[in-house]
Amino acid sequence: MAQWLLVVATVLVVFGGVWGATSFRPGGRNIGTLSCMILAFICQMGVLGIRGELRGKCPLGDYGEILAFLAWALVLFYLVVGPAYRLSLLGLFTAPVVAVFQVVAVLPGVMDRDPVAVVEVDPWGEAHAAFSVLSYGAFALAAIAALMFLVLNKKLKDQQLGSSLFRKLPPARSLLDSIVRLTSIGAGILTIGIISAFLMERDSALGSHLIAAIATWLAYLAVVFMYFWRGITPRRLSSSVIVVFILSLLVFAFV
Amino acid sequence: MGILCLGLNHQTAPVEIREIFAVSESRLGEHSGRLCEVEGVEESVVLSTCNRTEYYAAAVDCGVASDHLREFLQSQAGSRLRVEHLYEKQQLEAARHLCRVVSGIDSMVLGETEIFGQVKKAYQAALEKGATARSLNQLFQKAFGVGKKVRTNTSIQQGQTSVGSVAVDLAEKIFGHLRDSKVMVIGAGEISRMTAKSLLSRGARSIFVTNRSYERAKELANELNGESVRFDQWHEVLQEVDVVISSTGAPHAVMKREHVEAVRRKRRYRPLFAIDIAVPRDIEVEVGDIEEVYLYDIDALKEIAMEGKGQRADQIKLCERIIDQELIESGLFGS
Repeated sequence: MAQWLLVVATVLVVFGGVWGATSFRPGGRNIGTLSCMILAFICQMGVLGIRGELRGKCPLGDYGEILAFLAWALVLFYLVVGPAYRLSLLGLFTAPVVAVFQVVAVLPGVMDRDPVAVVEVDPWGEAHAAFSVLSYGAFALAAIAALMFLVLNKKLKDQQLGSSLFRKLPPARSLLDSIVRLTSIGAGILTIGIISAFLMERDSALGSHLIAAIATWLAYLAVVFMYFWRGITPRRLSSSVIVVFILSLLVFAFV
Repeated sequence: MGILCLGLNHQTAPVEIREIFAVSESRLGEHSGRLCEVEGVEESVVLSTCNRTEYYAAAVDCGVASDHLREFLQSQAGSRLRVEHLYEKQQLEAARHLCRVVSGIDSMVLGETEIFGQVKKAYQAALEKGATARSLNQLFQKAFGVGKKVRTNTSIQQGQTSVGSVAVDLAEKIFGHLRDSKVMVIGAGEISRMTAKSLLSRGARSIFVTNRSYERAKELANELNGESVRFDQWHEVLQEVDVVISSTGAPHAVMKREHVEAVRRKRRYRPLFAIDIAVPRDIEVEVGDIEEVYLYDIDALKEIAMEGKGQRADQIKLCERIIDQELIESGLFGS
């Protein structure tokens, strides 16, 4: 059931992205894309609810669940940031990333079909996992906004202004504000995740997983600190946000 | 019942004539009501914007209504109003004209959206005053529908056709709303004045003007409601501004890479939009190599404006087709 709901959510997200690409209005809310994203979000909630019931805890027990949770967090932040700040095309850029996460999650073997329910739950462990993945939703959306900025920046620098993509992209300053806002929010949420990790029951003092989480946290804090303390060029800010996100995703995939 | 439109706009009458007929928004309904008292006029709507004043009327005999309306207007303006200042359209032509107005293709700034709201207000005022009935209600409702369709199905408001408007569009692409943006004008030339005015009209917060002749800088700063800066001090203002418009007559570069490099840290690497409309160029090409600087010279802006003109011509044709098709399909106004 959970896998099927995830498939429905993926179809909705892809449909919303295609809709966004074909019926675009600059500065306006794309109701079609937004509606698809809301419906996908509801399906994702269903997936996480079912998996949570099966596990008897926060559904972050395997890669499939982590990816589904990450996709949910990404859509959550999109729903908060995109329509409120009228960031045109954010839905269009977000949809493929969410779809990729969810497609990988439904691949055979990625999501446990019969997860074992836990007997005892460590609330700090749950908080650590949930807040950490939630922060990744914000970081993922920041990376998407950063990618959009880099595309816009390249077009402005090269004076290639005739394309439809250029006209549809939101203003550079709006994208930069969103990158900073999302990175700061993500870093704040990850801070709670890291604190929870220190309070949870652990096998060793500082496992490789926790070291990776702290490294990611420090990397994002460095980006935010650089921005607020001495400033950073928009291109470097965007590149850093993308590179740190990809690196941290890779680290977590292999740690 | 016939439809009649009598009006004057920026293409037919100078501002000193247009201002005689200008009607404030709060008095549009009252004027529409007064027009109904003109002999032969059954229904009326008065539309008045900074670029046009138009009188829409429904009459049994458009010829009689037109004669009396002209007399009425003549009585307001006296001998200053000449025949060529006014245009007159009847039936389908009047309907087509209103659709063009609502769609923004008869506007000074092609495709502007403000006119749609202005026509709506004019119609609403006349409606509330009881100056409209079946004929004008049908006409205006149809025009609003057509206007919406034109804006949805064409990109008439996209693509700018003058250096100033291209610069403003680019500034908005970089900064979004310009209300938080500061502008510096180096050299008090005509194009930079126009460009600065365009930026101000779109909300730019404050403006600094510098010029070799400080008196001229003060003069332009006063006109733009800005602040004048002595020419040897302009680089001190650079750290504050978001947009620089340069158009001095200097034979060498005025703004050099080192000027921008010196303030990058103080500017916290914020984007800087540099518009160089001088020939020979005022801003060193290397300034454009700085990551956060977007440098556009006069050729780049003109090229974009030319592209805009081409796109607009195609879009106007498309708009006209939509308007004609809609009016023919409606079977109204003698179509």
